[in-house]
Amino acid sequence: MILHGSFAIWRRDMLVLRRSILSELVAVLAYPLTIYLAFGVGMQGYIGLVEGVPYSLFIAPGLITMTAVNAAYNESVWSLWFHRRVQFTIESYRVTPITVSEIVLAKILSGFTHGLVKGLVVGLVIFSLTPFRFPLEHLASYLLFLVPGSALFSCAGVICGTVMDKPETIGKVEAVFIMPLIFMSGLFFPLSSYPAAVIPWVRALPTTALFEGARLALVAGSFQYGYLLQVTVTALVVFVAAVWIFRRKLSE
Amino acid sequence: MTEPLNPSAAIVVRSLCKSYGNLMALDDFNLEVERGSIFGLLGPNGAGKTTLIRILTTLMRQSSGEVFIEGLDPASQGLEIRRLIGVVSQENSLDRYITARENLELHARLHGMDARVYRQRIDELLELMGLTGRQHDPSDTFSGGMQRRLVVARALIHQPRVLFLDEPTTGLDPQSRRAVWDYITSIAGSMTIFLTTHYLEEAEQLCDRIAIMDHGRLIALGSTRELKESLVGGTVYQIEFGEEVERYAGLLRGMACVREMAVTGRTVCVELESWECLSEVVSALNGAPVRRISIKERTLEEVFINLTGKGVRE
Ligand SMILES: Nc1ncnc2c1ncn2[C@@H]1O[C@H](COP(=O)(O)OP(=O)(O)O)[C@@H](O)[C@H]1O
Ligand SMILES: [Mg+2]
Repeated sequence: MILHGSFAIWRRDMLVLRRSILSELVAVLAYPLTIYLAFGVGMQGYIGLVEGVPYSLFIAPGLITMTAVNAAYNESVWSLWFHRRVQFTIESYRVTPITVSEIVLAKILSGFTHGLVKGLVVGLVIFSLTPFRFPLEHLASYLLFLVPGSALFSCAGVICGTVMDKPETIGKVEAVFIMPLIFMSGLFFPLSSYPAAVIPWVRALPTTALFEGARLALVAGSFQYGYLLQVTVTALVVFVAAVWIFRRKLSE
Repeated sequence: MTEPLNPSAAIVVRSLCKSYGNLMALDDFNLEVERGSIFGLLGPNGAGKTTLIRILTTLMRQSSGEVFIEGLDPASQGLEIRRLIGVVSQENSLDRYITARENLELHARLHGMDARVYRQRIDELLELMGLTGRQHDPSDTFSGGMQRRLVVARALIHQPRVLFLDEPTTGLDPQSRRAVWDYITSIAGSMTIFLTTHYLEEAEQLCDRIAIMDHGRLIALGSTRELKESLVGGTVYQIEFGEEVERYAGLLRGMACVREMAVTGRTVCVELESWECLSEVVSALNGAPVRRISIKERTLEEVFINLTGKGVRE
């Protein structure tokens, strides 16, 4: 059976996720909910309407997307690092009759699933605890963004977890690249807040396409094909890079 | 022009070299391992044992030279080789987030085994390794010896033809080490076993043939007995006398076939040219108050010191 190796490893990751999901959820939920309370509720009076909607509603879709991509990135980066450097499980997979590509594919898939599951859970919680509402028929087009978005961050995580041997470096990259990329991409404020000269640069970021596209799809039901194409193409490129880098690293 | 492969060899290594930058970890290494035997690769830390195992198990490419596992070439037939081999790496590489049984199940699936087949096989292996009672516990709750046995079980799941064990008992207490030895002996015969160790006793206990290596080079190869016999000098006997030690020592000293001699208390230690001289010695001692004659066992440690000029580095 083709890809049976990927499936076996992914199944193992899902088994671990299933066992840990309840205890993990507290941490997964705490972050977006704190932000929602601090900014969406606490600061709402000072901020007023943003692009015609209350601030809490403006940031809600971004918080869901952020949770998903963050979870995808984190799972991939730590899992790759841990299984490669600490537990040597990757090496134990490599002496079985599967290919290196199957291993990296499994890890990308696992990170992606983590992102999707955790994003959807946070979505459900925000939906049930806050007045944030969206027309249900918008959900499908929102997911069209969330899927390549989570895949993109999972692949990025696999790359970082493959090339970085020290946990400190992983922490630094997250603080210096991943978080700024997420925060600056139209999650907390509309792109129009940027100086005119900067806007084209911010727009060029795949994260902007992801957060803007996902929010517009969920809240306004307007589907931006350009944004989706940008996220999908970036995800594909990073996917190819992740597979290539992983194979190269392991053949050292 | 390459020589044809010996059809009864499970592992063939020819002129193998591997360098890490300037360091030659393997230097013109040649080896053949007979199918169905237990082969021990003995060498101190840093000798290059793991490097050789990594190349043999398709984890790493050589710099030059040839390697064949069951006639297959790792460079082009890695996948086929990995179907045939089981590997116990130097680090345990167990998955501590899942149970012992789940560790085995994962590897069975990686080998493309059917659930119907592997369930029974896992039951058997857990039984064989004495782990049945703990199969549903996470592997990190296991003792070192149990973890090692679990890794061995994992390597056996698909009934490999060649089993590689990289320092299977390093770091274990003597009792767990013996248990691992017993398990290895119990599976011997059905497959070729290639193990590395830096314990001389382990190689001596387990292996049919032994290679000794240091600094990436093969320095001796043979059965335990051959290696011990290859020591400069022949067999050493200890003869304990009841009285008149000096007189008999003098007598022995005069004999042609006695090569070396030492007297400690009432015991005379003689090194003979060969074991055939023993009857000559016994006749010469006719009527002497001999209390005991014993062979002084030479150890691989002595072989090792003899070959490398120093003891085994830990
Ligand atoms: N990945 C590596 N990069 C550089 N040097 C290495 C690497 N792996 C091993 N070595 C060096 O190669 C030599 C042989 O190592 P190894 O095969 O691990 O020996 P052993 O298993 O016999 O202890 C040692 O000097 C070791 O430091
Ligand atoms: Mg080693």
